[in-house]
Formats: sequence, structure tokens, C-alpha cells
Amino acid sequence: MALIEIDNLSVHFDAGDRIVKAVQDVSLQVAARESYGLVGESGSGKSTILRAICGLAPISGGTVRIGGEPLKTPRGKGFSARVQMVFQDPYSSLHPRHTIDRTLSEPLAIHGVGNTDARVVQALRDVALDPTFRFRFPHQLSGGQRQRVAIARALMLQPEILLLDEPTSALDASVQAETLNLLNRLRAERGLTFLMVSHDLAVIDHMCDRVLVMQHGRAVEELARDDLAAARMTTSYARTLFDASADRMLDGA
Amino acid sequence: MSLLSVKNLRVTFDTEAGRVEAVRGVSFTLGRERLGIVGESGSGKTMTGRSMLRLIRPPGRIEADEMRFDGIDLLRASEREMRALRGPRMAMVMQDPKYSLNPVMKVGRQLTEGLRLRDRLGAGDARKKAIEALQAVQIRDPERVMEAWPHELSGGMGQRVMIAMMLIPNPDLLIADEPTSALDVTVQAEVLKILDDLVKTRGMGLIFISHDLRLVARFCDRVLVMYKGRVVEEVQAGNLMAARHPYTRGLLNCLPRIGGPREPLPSLDRSGTWAEA
Amino acid sequence: MTTLTTWLRDHSPSSRLQARAGQAWLGWLRMRRNPLAMVGLTIVAVLLLMAAFAPWIATHDPIAQDLSQRLLRPMTNGHLMGTDEFGRDIFSRVVYGARVTLYIVTLVAVTAPVFGLLVGTVSGYAGGWVDQVLMRITDIFLAFPKLILALALVAVLGPGIENAVLAIALTSWPPYARVARAETLTVRNSDYIAAVRLQGAGPSRIVWGHIMPMCLPSVIIRVTLDMAGVILTAAGLGFLGLGVQPPMPEWGLMISSGRKFLFEQWWVATMPGLAIFVVSLGFNLLGDGLRDVLDPRSTAK
Repeated sequence: MALIEIDNLSVHFDAGDRIVKAVQDVSLQVAARESYGLVGESGSGKSTILRAICGLAPISGGTVRIGGEPLKTPRGKGFSARVQMVFQDPYSSLHPRHTIDRTLSEPLAIHGVGNTDARVVQALRDVALDPTFRFRFPHQLSGGQRQRVAIARALMLQPEILLLDEPTSALDASVQAETLNLLNRLRAERGLTFLMVSHDLAVIDHMCDRVLVMQHGRAVEELARDDLAAARMTTSYARTLFDASADRMLDGA
Repeated sequence: MSLLSVKNLRVTFDTEAGRVEAVRGVSFTLGRERLGIVGESGSGKTMTGRSMLRLIRPPGRIEADEMRFDGIDLLRASEREMRALRGPRMAMVMQDPKYSLNPVMKVGRQLTEGLRLRDRLGAGDARKKAIEALQAVQIRDPERVMEAWPHELSGGMGQRVMIAMMLIPNPDLLIADEPTSALDVTVQAEVLKILDDLVKTRGMGLIFISHDLRLVARFCDRVLVMYKGRVVEEVQAGNLMAARHPYTRGLLNCLPRIGGPREPLPSLDRSGTWAEA
Repeated sequence: MTTLTTWLRDHSPSSRLQARAGQAWLGWLRMRRNPLAMVGLTIVAVLLLMAAFAPWIATHDPIAQDLSQRLLRPMTNGHLMGTDEFGRDIFSRVVYGARVTLYIVTLVAVTAPVFGLLVGTVSGYAGGWVDQVLMRITDIFLAFPKLILALALVAVLGPGIENAVLAIALTSWPPYARVARAETLTVRNSDYIAAVRLQGAGPSRIVWGHIMPMCLPSVIIRVTLDMAGVILTAAGLGFLGLGVQPPMPEWGLMISSGRKFLFEQWWVATMPGLAIFVVSLGFNLLGDGLRDVLDPRSTAK
């Protein structure tokens, strides 16, 4: 049985005079310990799927099940302990007036977990940050360091599923490499399940076992990693995306 | 003679946390060619681009041994002379069209405003020129775009409008600061092609600033690689793969590739002596 | 001193206290670069000192009458600012008046903004009908001119300093609610609020721990800018005889009684007027300076 099961998910937003259909009839299944990618351009609805799972966007149709159980609204603390999310922009996902210490100890306080000091220091070590960062404010950190803090925060409650919303697209190339390596290491160490969104096919290919290509809120094509590498896509949109991918540019030049 | 020559450019900021040197001794010359400046955030690439137009706000200061554009000393030029240069002779395209277009003015008016005020064209002539400019950036229905508000345009469309606006006065030098980073990959390719054609046909000089080494290599003739306010390497774009500097090599290697190996990506080694200087 | 500054400037603070102190120190450095804000701070500091050390600074008893010395010009017989119609020393009354002014300002500053902040953040975060109800109540308060409403309240409650404070506080919270709500609306949908919601935090924790700290700076700035208005309203109530009661030295009341002699003995009304002017200016300048220090947008990078 798959850990994440999404059946015919639709997300509609009421934009005053009209209904915006951000996601329409998308189905996918992610097995435990699998890494699954969603790829598409802006407006394809890929991030909305993650937000709908978390309850940050409304589920208008279809069902989402985690470990066989349908989601409750509101999601509740049990959900928080199983599923966590890393956001795209590390500059807006950390509270600007809270120290790193506060940011990391907040989930422990909410769930009544003790031994805060040791856990915070250990969490910083796990994401390869020096414990001297503990009492700094986010603006004293670089983008890559902030994203590490965001990853550490997501892991504080030891969830089994990590939703990654473009976790490296706001970062420099060399920092992106370090962050992707960190995520892969954590996944291997903790047996995490990833559902990752990106616009960069090369990043998705590096990180994920299977990919769902999305366009205008609909699923276009699901590809296994080998098929992607061998360019065995069947739809023209998936091929366009593949050809436009940045890392093809050097070969194509 | 070269279009632009810069010798030992330094940009410094005096802040309460101390003195910050954003650009530390950058020198280059530019003919009517495409020069790429590549670097990660904080490398000083944007500050270098902005210095050419003297668009650095206090407490930032620009110092250089020489900064000449077509025989004009940019360091000595008065603010009035600089205004006459910005736009008609040197233009800049910024990263995000959302923030560069005035949100409460229709596109058509923004395009024609300069023509009417600066070149004193009549409404009809200005409109004709603006539509031509929109056609040059391959906008299919320029009439409709002229009547649109900026928020009604997609990112790619907005960036084309920005490029059209910058190119109307036919500048000699275009500085493009991450012109495609906010765009989707498929749109990115189109916008780059438009920019490329325009630069070629009009014989402009282009400074293309980007964080993406692969993009710059494909698009430019020459590439300056910047790190911490210095140029660490200058390479011909065609020979990028033969770049020698450890930083350039590191930037190339740390990117994931489709079908590449699953092992950890090589991270950039910043321990060498070059990183300190 | 140098060890203290290095402790404050430490980029890797080792405790919460040091982190906070370091931020405050940077704010202070930024503030020090703004000369006008420093002028404002000096004025407010002088007001504080004057109130604290009034008995030592004042040259005479502020309520002792001496009819043989009435309406003396400034700088005569040891009366720096002259005397009023009962022969009381105006300088001493202005000095003691600082206590009353500060008392009113402090009481208003700790009540109205707190209430406004609470209403605004709850309203902004909850949205829906809660927002509608709270904002309509705010609108009702905003619909009346401040002084008129305060007058009505004092008329009901009876004159006196406590009632004046209460009336001013009740009339001045709505702008804070508005400011806090606007700030909440921009913060509410940010990723860091989404992140803490995802961790299972309840609404009260989010509003109290995550939204309020973001609204606080704008409210504090607004408070300092409004202090001038509070002083003027208090003076206005005093002037109309509805605030502080004689013979207590209060600046508004002093102007009111000096009005009768405005043309012949100008100093009786002018001296407390000058005091109100200087202190209002001081709070305004300080508020402007605080804006640069506290505004989250300017300290983002």
C-alpha cells in the first residue's frame, strides 16, 4: 500500500468573479521511502498539491490519504508529526524576529516534547550547522544556511514524509548542490519519503525516482527516472520541457 | 576603440556594521560584443552592472581608475550628463518585469512616454514606433498589449515589453541583469533568442549578468567569472568547458544533470588561496 | 566598555539575552545616526528627569499662593518664568506639570495600544464574521471626533485625572487596531506563519507569539507619534475644566487660566504652551526616528 495516495484531487479557488481551477483531477501514489517529483512551469498547480495536502489550500474534489487514512480538517497534531514541509523561499519562511533557537524549539513546545536544548543543538548538527548559529536571527544567515534551518525545523518532530516546495530554487548553484546532498543524506539516514516540487527537471531527476509532469493544473505524464534520462517521453509537452531544460543547453549549443 | 572600458572599479558601502566592499578592483573592456558576468549572490556582479550607469545609492560609493563609455568619462560626468546617457545610450533590463513596469500606467503609455517627452514625437508617431518595438520583440498582437495593464501580462510578456522599452531609443549598450531568471524555462529560451537577435542586428554592446554559467556560456562571446567582488577568471564562452579556475570548474560541476549519477554532487571547494584574496 | 561592545557585536551570541541585546545595540547605532531623533530622545529624557526630580528642580512650591507676588514678569524676584494670578511660580508649576503629563501619557500608552493591538491582530487573523464585528465596532469609535467623544465620556464619568485618562484611552485605541489589522493581513499568509500552522500551533499561539511581534513596531511608532495628540487632548480636557482639577499643576489647565491675561501678561499662558509644544515635538521626532530603527522592512537585510 502506498504511503501517500492522491485520487482525482481538484483544488479550486474563488477569485471573486470566477473560479480558478488550480489543480484538476490529479492522481498519484507515493510508496514509503520513495522520492516522487512534481515538475512543471509556474501556474501548473504543482505547489498547490503540496499546499492542499497540508491544509493550506482547500481540497475541492477527490481524496488524499496518508498511510491509508483520509485527511481530517483541521489536520491536527498527529498530522504535523507525520508530514512536514520545506518552503521555497528561505527569506520568507523563517520568522524575522525569532532567533534560530526559537524557530527550532517552537514545534517541540507545541507538541510538549521536552529536552529542548539538546534536541535543538542536535538538529543544528544534523543539518551541518555549527551550534554557534543557535541564537542568531535569520537576517544574520545566508540563504543556504536559512534553508538548512528550515529543513531542521521540518525534521524537529521526526516526520516520515517531507514535502519539498522548490527547496533550492532561491539558492546559488553551489549552495543548491550542498542542500540537495543534505536532503539525500537525511532521506537515507531517516528513511524519509519525499514529495518534491521543482521547475528544474535536472534537480528532479537527481532527487527523484519518479516524476509527474504537470501543465495548467493537470497531470501530463508520469515518467520513471530511466525513461526521463533516455528521453522516452510520449507527450510533446514533456519533451518541450526536457529540451528547454538548462543543462541541455551546453550540449545543444 | 572599445565602447566601454573599466579599470580597477571598486564599490564600497559604509554601514554601521563596518565597511563592505562589494566590488574590489574589476577591470574589463567591451566592444560591440556580448559579455557575460557570472557569479553567485554577493559576488558583486549586479553592483558592477549598476556602476556603469552610476546607479548606486548612498552610502555606496563608486571609485575607479578609469570608467569610459564611448569617450565619455563616466566618473566625471555630471548627474545631468548621466541622465542624458541613461536610456538613449545605455539601457538596463532588470530581473523581474513585475517591479520594473509602473503598475498604474497602461503599457502603451509607458512605451510612448519617453518618445513624446524626450524625442518630442506626436502621439501618432510615438504609437507607431512603440508598436514597431513590440513587434521587434515578437509580440504578435501589439495593439492589444499597448492597451493592457502591466498586471495583465505574463512574466515572459512583461519582460519582452521591458526589452522593447529599453530598445526604443536604440542604445549602444544594453545591460541585462538576470533578464530571464524570473521566467519559466520554455519562455526563457524565447526571450533569450529575441535578445540575441536584437543585439546582433543592431550591433549593440551587451553586458549579460547572470548566476547561470551554462546560460551565459551559450549566449555570450566572453565570460567574466566573479567571486567576492573580484574577477577570478575570464574565458571565451566556447572554451568554458576548458576553464581552469577551481571556482569556475566548481560552478560547472555542482549542477545536477539529467541522467547524471546519483552520487552526491561535488560541492564547491572554497578552501583554496583564491577564495581569500 | 570595549568588552561590552564586543559582547554586543558578537555575531554568534551564546544566549537569548545576548542575541536581544545585540539587536538592540544595532538599533541604537542606527538611531544615533539620525540627529533629529536624538533631539527627540533628549527632549523625552529631559521630561523624564524633570518629572523624577521635580522637588529638587522646582524653585518654589507649585501650589503655594502669594498674592503680593502675582503676575510678575519672567526673571523677576527669582521667578524664572514669572508668576500667575495667584502669585504661584510658573516655572515650578511647569516642572511639576511634567509629572501629570507623564502620568497621563504613560497610562494611555500602556492601555490603548495593547487593547488596539489585541483587537487588530485577532480581527485580522480570524477574518470572517469576527473581523466584521470587531472592525464595525472600531468604525463606530472612529466615527466620532476624538475630543468630542472624550468630552462625552468625561461628562458621564465626572471630571478628574483618572477619568480623563480613561476617556483618552477609550478614544485612541481604534487607530492601533487598524494598524495592527493591516499588518496582520500582510503577515498572515506568509510562509513562516504557514510553517508554524503546519507544526500544529493553535490560533492563540500564532497570534500571540508570531503575529504580534510583527505588528509591534508599527504600533510603537504610531504610539510615539500619537503621544503629542494625547498630551494635547489631555491639555484640551484640562483647558475645558474636565480633566485635572485645580490647584494641581497641569499644562492645559494653566493655559486655560492664563487666557484671561493673554494680552497684558502673555507669559502666564505662553510658558505652559511652550512646554506642550516642545514635548509634543520631542515625541514626534522620536517616533520618526524609531520608524527607521524598528520598521521590519528597513531591517530586513
